[in-house]
Amino acid sequence: MAEKWLYWLEDLGKEQNELVGKKCANLGEMARIGLPVPRGFALSVHAYTHFMDETGATQEIAALIEASSVTPEDVAGVNRLSLAIRALVESKKIPAAMESSILSHYNGLCERCGCADAAVSTRSAGAVSHPGQYETYLNVKGGAEVLEKVRKVWASTFNARSLAYRLRKGLPVASGPIGVAVLEMVKARSAGIAFSVDPNTGDTTSMIVEANWGLGESVVSGELTPDRWVLDRETLAVRESFLGKKEKMTCFISAGTVERETPPEKACAFCCTDSELAEIGRLAMHLERHFGVPQDIEWAVAEDRPFPNIVLLQARPAVVIKKSAADAVVDMMLGMFRS
Amino acid sequence: MLRDAYDLSFYEFDDERDAKEYGVLLCDVVHGRPPMKPAYIGIGWYWYYHGIRYAAGNLSLPTTHGWDSRFVNGYPYITAIRTTPEEAREREPVFREKIKPFLEDFDGVWDPLKADLLKTYKEAKETRGLKEWDDIKKLSNHELLSFFLDFAFVINRKEGETHFYMLMAAYYISGLFQEMWRNMFGQEAGIDPNYHRLMSGFEASDVAFTRGLWQLGRKAVGLGMEDVFKKTDDSGVLEALKGSEAGRKWSEAYHEFLLEHGWRADRMHAYDYPTWLEKPSIGIARIKFMMSESVFPFDANRERVNRERQEGEKEIMVKVPAPQREAFGLLMKAAQKSGYWSEDHGYYCDLYIGAMGRWILTEFGRRFAKAGCIDDVEDIHYLHPNEIRKAAVPLGRINLRPYVERRKKLHGQYLEMEPVPFFGDISQAQLVLRSDPTLSVSTQLPIVREELKADLYGAAAAPGYAEGTARVIMSSDYLAQVQPGDILVAPGTSASWTVVFSVIKALVTDGGGALSHPVIMAREFGIPCVSGCVEGTQKIKTGQKIRVDGDRGVVFIDNK
Repeated sequence: MAEKWLYWLEDLGKEQNELVGKKCANLGEMARIGLPVPRGFALSVHAYTHFMDETGATQEIAALIEASSVTPEDVAGVNRLSLAIRALVESKKIPAAMESSILSHYNGLCERCGCADAAVSTRSAGAVSHPGQYETYLNVKGGAEVLEKVRKVWASTFNARSLAYRLRKGLPVASGPIGVAVLEMVKARSAGIAFSVDPNTGDTTSMIVEANWGLGESVVSGELTPDRWVLDRETLAVRESFLGKKEKMTCFISAGTVERETPPEKACAFCCTDSELAEIGRLAMHLERHFGVPQDIEWAVAEDRPFPNIVLLQARPAVVIKKSAADAVVDMMLGMFRS
Repeated sequence: MLRDAYDLSFYEFDDERDAKEYGVLLCDVVHGRPPMKPAYIGIGWYWYYHGIRYAAGNLSLPTTHGWDSRFVNGYPYITAIRTTPEEAREREPVFREKIKPFLEDFDGVWDPLKADLLKTYKEAKETRGLKEWDDIKKLSNHELLSFFLDFAFVINRKEGETHFYMLMAAYYISGLFQEMWRNMFGQEAGIDPNYHRLMSGFEASDVAFTRGLWQLGRKAVGLGMEDVFKKTDDSGVLEALKGSEAGRKWSEAYHEFLLEHGWRADRMHAYDYPTWLEKPSIGIARIKFMMSESVFPFDANRERVNRERQEGEKEIMVKVPAPQREAFGLLMKAAQKSGYWSEDHGYYCDLYIGAMGRWILTEFGRRFAKAGCIDDVEDIHYLHPNEIRKAAVPLGRINLRPYVERRKKLHGQYLEMEPVPFFGDISQAQLVLRSDPTLSVSTQLPIVREELKADLYGAAAAPGYAEGTARVIMSSDYLAQVQPGDILVAPGTSASWTVVFSVIKALVTDGGGALSHPVIMAREFGIPCVSGCVEGTQKIKTGQKIRVDGDRGVVFIDNK
């Protein structure tokens, strides 16, 4: 066991991108500079590789792939191969030493959180950011569940769309190793995303925040119309606000989460206050200054803590769509006649 | 109740309905004073209203379908036909694609259009074997009618559509740039010398034409004929030149110049003013203004103006936040082109088409009068195009007097009246103007700053400062009264006034905004100007000492 498999977040920083994946490294970096992040730990890429090799999964997957002659256009074939590989991975028992290490970290986390069977999320963390590529599991409780979900996250590196992608690109069908983040669940009263610039125009005088009631997955998935605000980057004041329909919200149930219809009195109310927005803005700007590039962040308002109770769940460089100068001018022209 | 509008259908003001429906209708004094005559309203002016609606639809302008208009007491009143919010949303993406070519390559849009207009005018003449002004007399009545129909329903339509397709785009662009200027620098662009520095140095057709006149003047000087010009009355110069070989040569050169460039009259929106080709002495008067200058005044300024513009561009870009620079630069270039276009298009649009109208209507007037359908050749200007076309062939069968008399009488009354500035609720004016930046062409407002304690405030200005003696003249008919060093005070200026810019010290006008002729030309000639004062010609008297501050857009009258 030359390489380490598990790390507490606060022991990580951005230099460990390759080791534990960007998500974990960034969370560690944020923890290091004193920003509010969930407590948790990370499994390194070595954990992935050790598991795959030790259990024989690596060889068996290679055999499965070789035996199948599937092409990327063969959607059914890709699905079958994916299901077969994932079932294989999930059937393997985590080697004893590793299992013990994971459980001891989980118990340590429960102690830090002050409750037995603390609810956590298990999230994939690749060295290169590919949003939504692999699986995330929410509201996981108890050691056995944690082990199972970690394994499922590993298995999700062979999900159908990733398989198809690698086949199309002529890349090795076996995935590169990934890290896994195991984070305490935030009791999100509201959650969402923020960009420290306007991602559609690159306008560096404003920042954008989008949010919904409950957990942030509904906003990230883009499936509904969230509340939306444009903030002034300097003053953090709200310049414009747009009430979203917020038809559904993601809620906790005993294990896992569920999507429910938003109660009408919530749907027609903004899910964040101006002071919460200013705090989100402050954090986004802090991250932008620290990392030196505009940021795309996920955050939640923790309902069991007093203000300021914004928790950062993720931070990565913002992808800004650069509009042509002519389009930017037309935007201004249209704005001239709108108000 | 519908008020009379010379029997022009749909221009009649409805007392009960119109102000309610539109909120407010504003008097277009810039174009409408003195009152236009029915023939011009029914042809040339109609195609401008059409052009505006055409452009609004073609460009898919989000907030307007164009103007609606009424004539009351002979004066035009205008208002915006606004879109609904749903229509605006639908039109925005189409507008985006239509306006982008202007932003990305303004010349690429304008150059082919103006070439096409010139080609159209030339072909109209060439296919009929027409070259000289009097050649139109050779056409048979049928041929003349056919020419009239082509002119009144095809050629003029093309001019109107081209004119306003370009104008709407140019004004949206300039309007946005001026608004951006105000937001970024806290100054009204129209009276900001830094803005004008950026917009200067573009040679429009008006300048090229004026240089042509100057060159003719220098040619006359070179041929030793300066004395003849200076000592002879304008109308007698051409006669006097016949006496010498050099004089005849010069007259030939002048005539060639007019055949090409003389398709213009001193009042753009009328058919009852002679064109330069028709009455060459008009040009003689103008040539006299500049012939003593060894360098064309515009050219003398060129280098300085271009250098200052380039420096201004650099200075401004530094002040713009980095992420907005590319967009700002693109908009600035397009705004510069819009200013240039504002002076360039007159030659190919208003002036040329007006001259053709003058040509054809004058000939009809002559023929109708000779045949006894009307009493006087000038009466043609009180007839509508449908009346002209129906009475043209066979010519002489219809008595057009009743139609003329009624409208002539009304026009005479309207000449004596002061137009009401608006109908309806003036507080809605901003809303109406906002929906269509071209409306602000016809309605300028002085930028009042009480703390300056000035006698007059302008809507726009060309930079510089001058003190001197005022010369107030009310039309270009009286240009000859202007002495070198005068500060000219006028209701407004247009292409026919350009020559005088080379002799005056400064300029004050009642009308005109940032894109108007007085401001643009004064800027290019390097003289101070304050435009849009509204009451300049009323408050200032010839002989008074006045101070013109074009850097701040104000005028002081010293010995009131």
